[in-house]
Amino acid sequence: MSEHDAPTVKTADDPAFQLPASLAALSLPLCLGGLAALVVGWALGHTVNASFGMAAYLTALVYCVTLAVGSLFFVLIQHLCRAGWSVVVRRIAELIMIMIIPLAVLFIPIIASLLFGEGTLYRWDDPNYAVDNHLPMAAWAEKTRWLTPGWFTIRAIIYFAIWSALALYYYRGSVEQDQTGDKSVTDRLQYWSGPAVMLFCGATSFAAFDWVMSLAPMWFSTMFGVYLFAGSVLAAHCLLAVGAYVLQEQGALRDEVTIEHYHDLGKYMFGFVFFWTYISFSQYLLIWYGNIPEETEWFWHRQLGSWGALALILIFFHWMLPFLGLLSRHVRRNPTLVFGWAVYLLLMHFIDVYWMIMPETQPVEGAEYASMGGVFGVVSSMLCAGGMLALLTGVMLRVAQQTRVVAVQDPRLRESIAFENI
Amino acid sequence: MSLAIPNGLDNTVEQPGQRAPLVLGDTTYHDITETVCQVAERRPSTGWVIGFLISFALLQWLTICILYLFYVGVGVWGNRSPIFWGWPIVNFVFWVGIGHAGTLISAILFLFRQEWRTSINRAAEAMTIFAVVCAGTFPGIHVGRAWLAYWLAPYPSLNLWMWPQFRSPLLWDVFAVSTYGTVSLLFWYMGMVPDLATFRDRSKNKWRRMAYGILSLGWSGSSRHWMRYEKAYALLAAFAAPLVLSVHTIVSFDFAVSQVPGWHTTIFPPYFVAGAIFSGFAMVLTLMVPARSMLGLEKLITIRHLDNMCKIILATGSIVGLAYGTEFFIAWYGQVQEEKFAFTNRAFGPYWWAYWTMVTCNVISPQLFWIKKFRTTPWIIVVISIFVNIGMWFERFVIVVTSLSRDYLPSAWAYFTPTWVDWSMLIGSFGLFFTLFLLFCRLMPVINMAETKATLAKQYHMAHADDH
Amino acid sequence: MSENQEKKVHGIVAEYESVDSLLDACRRVRDAGYKKTDAYTPFPVHGIDKALGIKPTHLPWIVLVCGLTGTATALLMQIWMNAIDYPYIISGKPFISLPAFIPVAFELTVLFASFGAFFGMWALNGLPRFSNPMFTDPRFDRVTDDRFFLYVDSKDPRFDEGSVQQLFNETGGQHIQSVIDDDSSSKIPKPIFAIWGLIVAFSVIPLLIVLKMRVTNSSSPRFHVFYDMDFSPAKDAQQGSTLFADGRAMRPDVPGTVARGEVGQDMNFLTGIDMEELDRVDSPRAERLVNTHLNPLVPQDPDGNDDDEATSPEVSAQAEAAQEPSVMDTTPWLKENPLDVDRELLALGQQYFGIYCSVCHGLNGGGNGLVNRRARKILAQSWIPPSSLHQESLYEDKYPDGKLFNTISNGIRKMPGYASQIKARDRWAIVAYVRALQMSQNASIDLVPQDRREEILERQREVEQKLEEQAEAERKAEEERAKRAGK
Repeated sequence: MSEHDAPTVKTADDPAFQLPASLAALSLPLCLGGLAALVVGWALGHTVNASFGMAAYLTALVYCVTLAVGSLFFVLIQHLCRAGWSVVVRRIAELIMIMIIPLAVLFIPIIASLLFGEGTLYRWDDPNYAVDNHLPMAAWAEKTRWLTPGWFTIRAIIYFAIWSALALYYYRGSVEQDQTGDKSVTDRLQYWSGPAVMLFCGATSFAAFDWVMSLAPMWFSTMFGVYLFAGSVLAAHCLLAVGAYVLQEQGALRDEVTIEHYHDLGKYMFGFVFFWTYISFSQYLLIWYGNIPEETEWFWHRQLGSWGALALILIFFHWMLPFLGLLSRHVRRNPTLVFGWAVYLLLMHFIDVYWMIMPETQPVEGAEYASMGGVFGVVSSMLCAGGMLALLTGVMLRVAQQTRVVAVQDPRLRESIAFENI
Repeated sequence: MSLAIPNGLDNTVEQPGQRAPLVLGDTTYHDITETVCQVAERRPSTGWVIGFLISFALLQWLTICILYLFYVGVGVWGNRSPIFWGWPIVNFVFWVGIGHAGTLISAILFLFRQEWRTSINRAAEAMTIFAVVCAGTFPGIHVGRAWLAYWLAPYPSLNLWMWPQFRSPLLWDVFAVSTYGTVSLLFWYMGMVPDLATFRDRSKNKWRRMAYGILSLGWSGSSRHWMRYEKAYALLAAFAAPLVLSVHTIVSFDFAVSQVPGWHTTIFPPYFVAGAIFSGFAMVLTLMVPARSMLGLEKLITIRHLDNMCKIILATGSIVGLAYGTEFFIAWYGQVQEEKFAFTNRAFGPYWWAYWTMVTCNVISPQLFWIKKFRTTPWIIVVISIFVNIGMWFERFVIVVTSLSRDYLPSAWAYFTPTWVDWSMLIGSFGLFFTLFLLFCRLMPVINMAETKATLAKQYHMAHADDH
Repeated sequence: MSENQEKKVHGIVAEYESVDSLLDACRRVRDAGYKKTDAYTPFPVHGIDKALGIKPTHLPWIVLVCGLTGTATALLMQIWMNAIDYPYIISGKPFISLPAFIPVAFELTVLFASFGAFFGMWALNGLPRFSNPMFTDPRFDRVTDDRFFLYVDSKDPRFDEGSVQQLFNETGGQHIQSVIDDDSSSKIPKPIFAIWGLIVAFSVIPLLIVLKMRVTNSSSPRFHVFYDMDFSPAKDAQQGSTLFADGRAMRPDVPGTVARGEVGQDMNFLTGIDMEELDRVDSPRAERLVNTHLNPLVPQDPDGNDDDEATSPEVSAQAEAAQEPSVMDTTPWLKENPLDVDRELLALGQQYFGIYCSVCHGLNGGGNGLVNRRARKILAQSWIPPSSLHQESLYEDKYPDGKLFNTISNGIRKMPGYASQIKARDRWAIVAYVRALQMSQNASIDLVPQDRREEILERQREVEQKLEEQAEAERKAEEERAKRAGK
């Protein structure tokens, strides 16, 4: 053990803790380019039909929200467990999680479409929906007490308020500690992490019901919140690995983030691939076995045409391939491979979200069910997602310039740097 | 027996950046050996003997009830149309749930490098195995002709000319519970091999030495052996962790793949798993808190251990509460008449008393653990844990009985009344459980000595490093 | 000492008190170039692999292979058992239901992999190994308590007793000793054999009994542990039972229930009577009829017999004698068949007519079935010949459909009631078929659709021609016979 002596921690002002200039320079171009791509993607989606454009936007938004919210969960859970290993990468997660605030602004178009669109995006907003689909009016009347534009908006504000409050509280605490080195900050953050996780679970679960599940107004699944959450946590760990790798490539954190941390992130990625599979398989199996039309409808829509192909892609490439790929310890101890798998899984998570949302768009004229909207449709979806991701990355880099990329005064920083897997 | 915290032994406060000790006092490696071995080596205490006699008597009563059941038939239970899954299945799910904490503490906490697991994992694993034994008893006798239960196995039969039905969740259950029992046993035994070697090397009696010698497989503590042993242990932990999830998931499938209102809901798998962990930890605490003072293990099973377990109870209890709420919300949101009725009926129907007992015990009582005082006062911990156990039994009762008693055919509705055999078997299963557990306390190392010593070594090392 | 030197020296071992001193010593020994070394510790010591130069184990590969074997076994087993060797459909799922096979596949994967990890560890570590030269020294007992040992094997190419001892001394090792063969008795105590033998002997007994039973015959009956499970005490249809107040084992329909296939069959349908009308003209009788149907087991008052007076010839005779209009005539019978008459229904009626009616009434309804011919032949005394269904008094205008239905259900004169044998719907089908039979005797060609007329006329001509030929042939035969007789 004396072979690896307790590591020396660099001083707080060391350049290895600052955002590399090469990344900082990308901030403005990313913001502008991202915004442009987002607008073009959205407009392109409208050439398919209005519902498609909004759904492509919602897909991008939900994707980015899952990343931010997953990172928030990561930070909360590290405090809850008083984790030591993760301190060197926690700031990256903290930077991602406060992107929930710009995301709240980006949510405004969704609410606008709800208030002025009459069922463009959410079909329950269409006053004729129940009549057109021959739904039992009593049930529908009860249901529309929950699904109204006004109440939906208020709930969205509540979710964002909870997430933003938690994110800000934990971000500010951590940054404050950078300056003061006050250990009581850690105590305080730990103290509130329990209630914070509970609030977080409620908000996330209901947000998933509202924003994604209600796209199919009559469909319901109690597991749905957990399903979206599973993908979200997986994606957050992937994003952490990507963030750490990129920062190291650009010269920051080279001595702090070690193979051991990649190994751990790799393990978590592996574990959450398994968890995602477990949740999505359980949901599928129960609905498949029960075979009740109200429930099978959702999977049925997602097996028609090219959606069926996407479903198979999810089985083989969201589960099987990464599962086998991350099985080996040698892969998980190779930062480049971990980075590669992380990028790959982020893409797969996007396909998962895409597959959840897009089949619920209005079919184009003459079609029986929604399609991917041809080349325009696919390009539009990718532009929206890529654009929003770039925009948020740009904003995040801007925030990162104001601070450091690691929690330099965290009392467990030394433990984290010295961390070794058994 | 004193349940008060000895002065200066409170290790629940942790300075950030400096880990609190998990082994208390000026303990050496040898002290750990002595503390743990004396539990099995000294003469049994009066408390142990009385406890064992009571448990053993209850076990005999269980045996008699089972024989009576075989002789007369399943009509001796209160299971009547339409409630064909009465208490036997309630008890089965209850015990399987309890059987989850052991392997979970061992496997998942091991994978997450939670070192505080070392002093409680052994007893928890033992508890797992005994709980699975209790659990396995109930579906075994519930099949009616228990002597033909071997038909469940996929063996090439010359008489039947057929195979089991693998599309049935009940058969998945057979595979899941038996795999879980087997793997838990392997995991428990493998973890015990080095400690059994300690027992072997300390025993003065030739026969004792020989018995422990055979059980410890000739363990010598060689570094090469340790290396492969640790690898195998980590691998077993890596399998056991998803296995724990899968077992209660499959138990939940027994209910959830059906179309019975109140059973067919997709949240059942994670919700059952959380409930199982919840009840398992409660049972560990119910057992370990008295045991640590009776067996003199306070320095190894510290208040910090109890505190951590209480936090897990709080977390899983809240997840369970959230799942109850989600179920209710979706029953209303889904607007399916039968589902809505099933949930209204649960809370306000003829079994309202069971439902509200469940909510009080499972959701409200663990919330008391927000208060640190409650998490660190042993007798309060025991009381709340017992409440949680009661609540979790009622949860299974609510799920099984309320849904079945109000099925799709109103003319068949009925109210479930347990018979004396139902009561006897529930109480008798506790006899079986405690008989095995008390025997374990006398015959096996109740605490993982090797790993606790490793934790201590790390503690020494860190203290040493701080000196520099 | 001299004794020890004669024994084989396996290596040299030294004792250390702390982890750090052991690790130091390990590194020194490694750096001195020793390869066949080992450390013995009471718990896994972190970092000792590097210090001793121990290579990682192959165990994960063994486990991977075992796990994959488990998956493959489970999937192949389930597919073979449920889809190939014994395929049958359950809850509408396909034979190969992959989602339903996943849980067992997962469990077996874990099970096999766990066996791989557990027994793989045994195999790689050479366990169980009950005799080990290391155990010879009683000091070594503390290896499972609080002492650490370092060992250099004599097979190491660099092994030299003196230099190893010196190295151990330098690193602070205590109690440096040679490891020699165990001189205690290696014999296993006799009682162990005895116990083991007894266990084996007893465990073989049940197997032997089973084997014997499988190969021998016995004249005595099989032993039934649970007699009533082997022989179910279920009752036969007409048996009595003490369980029910009425003493019968067969149970009637539960009052107020409707049997399968009888939904929508109201009283009109079941009796052939317009019940509302009957209620108006003869309310008590209507009530009796309904009660009888609702509760067939409770006997009605004796006058109830006249419900369907046709069953008892005396009653109708009395009625005739009294010159009062028969109940049969005053009953408001249904005028029309309540079923939609179509080809299918007629085919059904034809089938049942063929089965139940034609034996007396003949296949064409002419009243000359096999039973009638036989009765005539044997000159049966009390035989009342069955009616021809083609007499005008049985036509629809005089004998309404409902009355015909009632006659089929309850019988008339010698004819028994068929209500207990033919379902109500099928009886109505017979009624429809009888009407068709009646019509067939008097039908005009105009009723036949235009496009099929030609065909029928053609057939009619053929039949007439044949009949003529036949008549001609018969006439000729007659003439010839007459001629022959005349000769």
